[in-house]
Parts: sequence; structure tokens; C-alpha cells
Amino acid sequence: MKEVTRREYYLFSPWLRIFHWIMVACIVTLFATGLMITSPWIIFSFEPTTSGMTVDNIRNIHFLAAYIFCAAFVLRIYGFITNPGDRLFPHVWKGYFYENTVDVALHYMFLKKEHASYLRNPLARCSYAFLYVLVFVEVLTGFGMYYMTNPSGIGGALFGWVITILGGEYMAHLVHHYVAWAIILFAIGHLYMVIRAEFMEGESEVSSMFSGSKILAHEPRDAGHLDGTLD
Amino acid sequence: MEKRESMWDVYLRKGMSRRSFLKGCVTLTSLMGLSTASLSKVVEAAETKPLPVVIWIHGHECTGCDESFIRSASPLASDVVLNDIALEYDHLLSAACGEPFEAHLEQTIQKYRGQYILAVEGAVSTKDNGIYCMSGGHTFTSMLQHAAEHAAAVIAYGTCAAYGGIQAAKPNPTGSSGIAHFVGRAPVVNVPGCPPIPEVMTGVVMHVALFGTLPPLDSENRPKQFYGNRIHDTCYRRPFFDAGMFAERFDDAGAKAGWCLYKLGCRGPETYNSCGNIRWYQGMSYPIQSGAPCIGCSNAHFWDEDPMSQRMPEYGPLGNVDKIGAGLAAVTTLGVVAHGAASVVQRNKREEEE
Repeated sequence: MKEVTRREYYLFSPWLRIFHWIMVACIVTLFATGLMITSPWIIFSFEPTTSGMTVDNIRNIHFLAAYIFCAAFVLRIYGFITNPGDRLFPHVWKGYFYENTVDVALHYMFLKKEHASYLRNPLARCSYAFLYVLVFVEVLTGFGMYYMTNPSGIGGALFGWVITILGGEYMAHLVHHYVAWAIILFAIGHLYMVIRAEFMEGESEVSSMFSGSKILAHEPRDAGHLDGTLD
Repeated sequence: MEKRESMWDVYLRKGMSRRSFLKGCVTLTSLMGLSTASLSKVVEAAETKPLPVVIWIHGHECTGCDESFIRSASPLASDVVLNDIALEYDHLLSAACGEPFEAHLEQTIQKYRGQYILAVEGAVSTKDNGIYCMSGGHTFTSMLQHAAEHAAAVIAYGTCAAYGGIQAAKPNPTGSSGIAHFVGRAPVVNVPGCPPIPEVMTGVVMHVALFGTLPPLDSENRPKQFYGNRIHDTCYRRPFFDAGMFAERFDDAGAKAGWCLYKLGCRGPETYNSCGNIRWYQGMSYPIQSGAPCIGCSNAHFWDEDPMSQRMPEYGPLGNVDKIGAGLAAVTTLGVVAHGAASVVQRNKREEEE
């Protein structure tokens, strides 16, 4: 038995946590139904019309999940405004951010025995920004294709330019599909990194997305973000 | 300037009845996608407006658009050419040829400055100063620029004139492109399609002719009344798509039964055209109806979006993105497992040292 003194840091607001799990459910749904829209499965080899999971229904589930996802983003924004712990932008405009990134990267490449303690690891911050870019591309191309059933409507006016920029709707379909795979690759990496943090440091990385708190053994370098002493 | 004939004047001169004139106007009204309430406007325009002068030139193309145009049934292409417009110059349909013909082009441009409609078929060949497409001793580029300078409006017929067309396919040896950048300030209507639907071709020129304005255009300058819907959204096979009933191969029971061709690479979901509602040959059929998946011939770049019979591009032995994605996901999983194992080893070593 080992005795370790740990300190609890309350980090993630309920808004961020609820948003996170809605995002997980939506991305899984969107990815699965997306694959089924591209290459429809014959789920039941007998009469397709009686199966219930017709392409029509699958598309409706896809669109519903997309709308829920976009609507849930309001929670993310609210959390971002009200709770400093929810602010996960990579601080690329700060000198110490690069120093910390190198510190973490060297450890992940096994060139350093361990990295310093962080509430929000700088590489993780980068990966979330990257994920938001991917998601943003999906939203734009998705609504572009969705609303162009009526190019003269307000949705067509809001998102039609995406199709024009990409040089056609076929390209929009491909970009949407390829970026979906990139999000899945991110998810695998993300899942691994949080589990790894759990078994390497035992810092309640996984449970923090349920409880909102991280329990650290060392003083984290970015603790000042929470009380505003470090900006 | 001498008085120019209107469509009604032509009918009178040729001894055709008022009844046939009105029937022609009704056809034109429905074809242009206008409501019956607009009929009186169309009749008025046809009575009073002088026949629009049209100059029709051909660039880097196969003249297939003209093959389509002459098959227009309502209105008949011959009616359009002989009674509804004043076609002064056309590379393909004119009986005249040689220097007098070229001189006539110049005369027409000067005489009807700022009034004539310029119809263009075919792409502009830009490489090596445009020598890959010459006409009457001039490059097509210079001819286009000269004719467009004084045109009231330019109609780009076909995917070549709109986007470059098949000769613009990789590696595009002639540097073919659409005409938009070569027409100066003249407004352009794009009428893409390889070829466009005959009635769409006649409908657009008649709209410009009768109203003297361009039809309502979308963001790609295509007339909304003909390019406002996806073929997928107007396709009579759409219920099969929604129900999940697909032809898997060209020779299976689904193909025979007329089920959806989505899995055979149909580009209907990405293509804007009137094939689903106007159809071809007096509404007889269109590619999907005859069992051929749409290839998206009215889209820019459709020529490079192969394979036409599959939904997504294949990357040689790697397959399509779903195979590559699944492979990458497997590799990533293996990678993180290996990294995890190495991390545990590193941690154990560190703890031993402590």
C-alpha cells in the first residue's frame, strides 16, 4: 500500500460534461448512419420496405442527430462563458504553452521519463481545437448538402457557398465522408490518451468527465487558470 | 435602322394563323416555367418585341449540344431558328461559308451592337495562345472576346462553355476552361449539361428573347427554373432509394425491376438538372429511366469524378475511403496498444528507480 496526498480540482461544468456525452452519442450515431447512407445495407434480406430501417429512416436519424449535436453546442458555449475550467483553447499566444507542449510531447515519445502535471494537457488542448475544426467542416458540408434540396431557400443561401467553394456537391460528399473518418481516428486516439492518463498517473482523467473534478498528486502548472492568477 | 420584325410579324408574313401564334405562346410560357398568368405578357412581348438577333459560335467541343438543340420538340428547333429568333450567324447551322460569312459576322456585330444575344457552345482553349481551337484564321478566344464585347447577354450552352467540359479532364492538355473569364462584362447564363436538355436550351434563349432580361439565376448563374432541383429529388426512382431497394449490379433482379441505381454510382444526388421532370425526347425517358446511373454531366468536374459506376473513388489496391479508413483505424488501434504497453514498461522502470 502506498500513501499519496492528492488534491481535488473542480474543472468541468455540468454543461461541458452533458455536451461531451451528447457529442459522443451523436458522433457515433452520425458515423454509423453516415456509412449506411453511403453504402446502404440490406439489413433484412427479405422485403426491404418492411424492415423499418429504410434509407429514408436512416437519413432522418442522421439529420436528427446532426440537429441535436448543433443545438447541444449552446451548452458548450454557455459553459465556456461561465466556467474558466471549460476553456480549452490551446494558448498558442503564450510562451509557456510551447514549453509545456514540448515537455509533454517528449514524454509521449519516451524521451522523457515523465511530464509535469497539468489540469489540461497542452497537447490535448491542441487536439480538441483540431477536432472542432473537423466538426466545423462536417457541419458546413453537411448543412450545405442538406439545405441544397432547395437552393433558393434561406438554408441554401446560408450554406450554398460551401458547395461552390468545394467545386460541386460530389466533392462536398467526399469531404464530408473523409473528414468523418478523421474524427473516428481522433476518437481512438482520444480514448487511448484518457485511459493512459488514468493508468499512468491515476489522476481520474476518465471520471472527470462524469464528476467534473480531477484529483492530482502534484501541483499542476496551469492551476492558475482556475482562479485567474495565470492568464 | 430598318424596322425589325416581331414574332407576330413573322407569323403574319408567313400566313400563319393567330391561333397557331397563341398556341406557340402558350408552349413558350409553360416551357419557361412561368405561370399561366404570365401568358398575356408573353403574347404582348411576342407581338411587339423585335426578334432578338442571335450569334451562335462554337469553340472547343463536339457540337453535341446542337444535336440536342435540333431535337427540341416544343417549341420545334426549326420554329425557334426560323420564326422566333433572328439567327444571324451559326457555325453549324448556317448554309453560308467562307469569307462572306465571316464578313457577315462582323457586320452583324457592328449593326446590332449591344443588342444581340451571344450563344456559345464549347470551351475556351487557353494553352499556347489558344492555337488548339481556331476558326476563320483567328483563335476562338479572340473571336469570343470580340463577339462578347458588344453582346447584350451571353448564353453558355453545355458543360464545355460553362465549366470546360470533357477536354478539360486531367491533365487538360489544351488548357480548356469555361467562357466566363473571357466575356468581359456581359452577363452570362450557364446552361450546363452534356448536352443540355433540348427544351432547356430553347427555353433559355426564348426567355432572354421575349423579356430582354436574364431568367432568375442561382449562385452558379444557372436558370433556377431548370437547375433548381437535384435529379435525385425529382427522380421517379426516389421511392426505391427511400425504401432501400437498390440494384447491386447491372444484371441483377433489382436492375431489371427498375430499382434505385444509387449503389451503381448514380450522381443524381449531386446533380442539378431537369432530367427528372422535363426528361428527354418529348418526355420519353432519361438516363436513369433507361437503367443507366446519372453521371452528373451538368456538374463542373464530372469528367474527373470517376469511377462513374461507384459512389466513391477507388485508390488502386487500397480500395475506397471506407476500406482505407477501417485500415487506418486498425493501425491506430495497434499503435495506441503498443504505445500503451511501452508506457507501462517505462512507468515500471521509473518506479523501480525511485
